[in-house]
Amino acid sequence: MSKIVEIQSVFAGYNDEIILKDVSIDIFDDDFIGIIGPNGGGKTTLLNVILGLIKPFKGNVRFYDDLKSKRNNKIGYLPQQNKIDKNFPITVNDVILSGLIYGSGMISRHSKIDKQKAKDTLKRIGISDLGKHAIGELSGGQMQKVLLARAIISSPRLLILDEPNTFVDNQFEGELYEILNELNKEMSIIIVTHDVGTISSYVKTIACVNRTLHYHKSNVITEEQLASYNCPIKLITHGEIPHTVLKKHNH
Amino acid sequence: MIAELLQYKFITNSLLAGILASVSCGIIGTYIVTRRMVFLSGGITHASFGGIGIGYFFGFNPIFSAAIFGILSALGIEFVSKKTEIREDSVIGILWSFGMALGIMFVFLTPGYVPNLMSYLFGSILTVSSFDIWLMVCLSLVLIIFFVLFYRIILFISYDQEYAKTHNISVGLFNYLLMALVALTIVLNIKIVGIILVISLLTIPQSIANLFTKDFKNIILISIVIGLIGAFMGLIISYKINIPSGASIIFSLVMIFIVAKSIQVIKRKFNLKNRNFNLK
Repeated sequence: MSKIVEIQSVFAGYNDEIILKDVSIDIFDDDFIGIIGPNGGGKTTLLNVILGLIKPFKGNVRFYDDLKSKRNNKIGYLPQQNKIDKNFPITVNDVILSGLIYGSGMISRHSKIDKQKAKDTLKRIGISDLGKHAIGELSGGQMQKVLLARAIISSPRLLILDEPNTFVDNQFEGELYEILNELNKEMSIIIVTHDVGTISSYVKTIACVNRTLHYHKSNVITEEQLASYNCPIKLITHGEIPHTVLKKHNH
Repeated sequence: MIAELLQYKFITNSLLAGILASVSCGIIGTYIVTRRMVFLSGGITHASFGGIGIGYFFGFNPIFSAAIFGILSALGIEFVSKKTEIREDSVIGILWSFGMALGIMFVFLTPGYVPNLMSYLFGSILTVSSFDIWLMVCLSLVLIIFFVLFYRIILFISYDQEYAKTHNISVGLFNYLLMALVALTIVLNIKIVGIILVISLLTIPQSIANLFTKDFKNIILISIVIGLIGAFMGLIISYKINIPSGASIIFSLVMIFIVAKSIQVIKRKFNLKNRNFNLK
């Protein structure tokens, strides 16, 4: 177990608005962290800081090992699906191969090795037959798998997923977590989700982001973390039979 | 008829212009359509009329002032919408009408007769000069080289900008470069079909191509071919019944679109019927 990312008292946000205040977290190479928290609480902002999409106003983000030099290729990223144009004329193969491009070099063709990697990744995610399809023909779940394939084709050390369980059905969600469990043997995973219920049974630790960050090294959701929510959420208890409780809506 | 037509210099020039327009519009139009930048391109087109007016007033080739004006407004739109709080479509709306207003002011301030003004508004492929042709050759070459060398990156950025940023790609630089190329393509094609119609050269061939393929590269290639067919058909119609070539080219392209769409609909119905038959 070695540290790959260190975030130290970071303040970050957009324009003049500070969203994240004094956030610190260490990420290790075998982590599987679930990030929960209310909308607008700064979950995506935190991801953007780690991805280097925004610079923190204050504080440090340090990378270790091979993330230090080739950071962006060693971090796989699965963005929220609603940020992507579903009608864009591109094939699944081209989407996945784009995960291998790094820096603005002149690449008009991918090598045989790249194409083999794409093939292997498709197979691994279980969508071998989709390679030549246009993305417009895919279902929500298939699309999510394609984006996951793009995120892992470069064999990253850290995989970041921003709400991968929206737009998909329960069956897919199960499959997704199975795949992630398998991937966690090779890489550290950070997953942002609204679905507090199912996530706690898969991830190793849970962090709650609401302007500040509460991070306890366990996957049990504490009362304190729940208090940061003001909306109904699904709660799962760790009994013999897991059951879902809906917390009362206060407003 | 063809052999007789080819004897005239202006006819060979206009054929060349048609070919070059199909190439540049086929490439840049695909970028515009897939990135949903049609409104923005309309803004650049009309803003460049300001440059045309300035060119007339100061007595130099309007193409140059239009090109400078077009590029500046394109980069301006990109800059203002990225760096400030003003909405992109509002910026476009302002520049769109401001360019037209400037153009009208300068055209009216220009003493005496304003030659070829109609050809900028409605296009006139028949009055394209050899110099215009050379400019279009350069543009087409630049576009082909740029898109061949950076195809993967252009595709990558167009599809998912944010993801491209996480892979250390200079998204900002490419956006500005492509924006400048969009402006240049628009301005150099204004001579062919005119300010009012140039947007259709950048969108109709792509819409037709998109009926048959869902692959960026193939849309470019098919758009070029369709643009060629439309340009030739339009030229012949224009010559035969003596109307501005811009209008006849766009008319031909829309006819091709209607035919292509009908074929697609009929084919789908036919396939469906066959499938039902097999099920029995």
